[in-house]
Amino acid sequence: MTSAAEKALELILTADRELCNILSVTGRMSLASSLLALLIGLPLGVWLGACRFKGRGVLLILNRTLMGLPPVVCGLIFYMLFSGVGPFRQFKLLFTVEIMVLAQVVLITPIVVGSMESYVASLAPAVRETARGLGLGGGKTLALLMNECSYQICSAYLLAFSRAIAEVGAVSMVGGAIAWKTNVMTTAIMQYTNRGDFSLGIALGMILLCLSLLVNLGVSLLQRGLSR
Amino acid sequence: MKKILALLLALCMSFALCACGARSETPAEESPAQGPAAQEEQQAPEAAASVDTCILYEEDESMLNTYTLIAASPEAPFTDADGNPVGDVAVNAAGAEALVRWLLSPEALELAGNYGVEDYGEKLFYVLDEAPVYEGEIAPATEETKTVRLSTTTSVNDSGLLGYLLPIFQEEYGYTVEVQSAGTGKAIAAAQYGNADLILVHSKSQEEAFVEAGYARCLEGFETERLSFIYNYFVLCGPSADPAGAADCPSVKDAFAAIAEGKYSFISRGDGSGTHTKELSLWPEELGISAEAESFADYTDWYISANAGMGTCLVMAEEMGAYILTDKATFLAFAANGGQAA
Repeated sequence: MTSAAEKALELILTADRELCNILSVTGRMSLASSLLALLIGLPLGVWLGACRFKGRGVLLILNRTLMGLPPVVCGLIFYMLFSGVGPFRQFKLLFTVEIMVLAQVVLITPIVVGSMESYVASLAPAVRETARGLGLGGGKTLALLMNECSYQICSAYLLAFSRAIAEVGAVSMVGGAIAWKTNVMTTAIMQYTNRGDFSLGIALGMILLCLSLLVNLGVSLLQRGLSR
Repeated sequence: MKKILALLLALCMSFALCACGARSETPAEESPAQGPAAQEEQQAPEAAASVDTCILYEEDESMLNTYTLIAASPEAPFTDADGNPVGDVAVNAAGAEALVRWLLSPEALELAGNYGVEDYGEKLFYVLDEAPVYEGEIAPATEETKTVRLSTTTSVNDSGLLGYLLPIFQEEYGYTVEVQSAGTGKAIAAAQYGNADLILVHSKSQEEAFVEAGYARCLEGFETERLSFIYNYFVLCGPSADPAGAADCPSVKDAFAAIAEGKYSFISRGDGSGTHTKELSLWPEELGISAEAESFADYTDWYISANAGMGTCLVMAEEMGAYILTDKATFLAFAANGGQAA
């Protein structure tokens, strides 16, 4: 364990070029996919949670099923779709960061939707009553609801980000773990493990955890600010 | 708010302390040992003690591990997942041609033949005597041919050979080589799905099937599709006590027979890789072990099909005191690292 810690420090202190590249790809990929997933999932989740309409139950079940979508299955579907012989081959997206983001968004959005939906559903009746009592219009009711949700939005984002940064099955499949291009922390750890270089794998794992810690700290601070 | 900030500060400080500690410790350790030689001597017995698995059988003719380059053909009979023919598959034929030509140039062959001497004290690859050599011009990259997709096996990639060779090629001719690595089966499948411009693999039967199905292209100036150029040896590894007596067997096939007879644990890759294919060919025929799961259903008490990468399998072998077939490069890296799961 000590040698792994030393290796991790050595990698960070010497600003190892490959590590920097892996970090930047990891950062770009997980930030882009978690933000996109939040952008899509947030309105969907609020809509599903706040409104009562026909077919809502079906959508909810569908979403909960997608929440359990195994990453490798998602990766395989995208691999086959964008493969050299697949229907979307002219986009030439296979083995790029873009398709990794795409696959991640498909994986993460249902989680954001699910977490927002359950929170909003528990909150909506009270907010609606308050709004009616104050004589607020539709837009203002929504604003009130969103204000009440701000804490939960941060939590949902954290969930999305954690999933994005920790995911390995889908990104290794569609990204191909190509050095200097689509290799992220998790796929690099897998590579080093397969190579028998465990301490370097653990070193990368430590760096990954520290990154996660920093982002979590940042968002937790934001959450604290919001809840005051 | 203030509490969190204080916590953050404390965290940063503890990190900094760790960093300083690691830095100040290293020179202190080095100082008593005078020079790098003495230091190596100190470490060597420690490393040897931590890995019990050792090479029992090597450099046998039947353990030959030949690596072959095959360029993918743009006119191959590509089909989609449903078996319908697909016409316009993008294959960077010119880029693949340039990379093949460079890899078979006298300069690259010499580099490949000497790779590993610096890091491991021995060659990891040998150049085949009958390797095709290309001495003509190599076209520099253009905007369209710039990206070359090379699909290769984990053993080549993990040995670090490509990381050593490719930057030279990229710098000189302006190409970008994207390397994907997987077991030979998957590496070949990538080319069949139109996701690779050339492959570098090590499983003769699978390569021949690939060529026969019409996926390969014979490059101008070469005689065959399959361009075998470097080789090394698989090695049979096992516990240093060697209960099966594999090291004393007259041939490697006898060693495998001895392992099967004594029902000593054996870790199989089980993933359709070149190493797995080679291992299957070494068992006594009457056992009938093949890639099918049913074929070894009766041997599960000693035959362990791991379905994992080489490094993972080596750790399993080390933990279980089992025998294992591995390529030499990965084993050397594993042993050099102490073979510990950290």
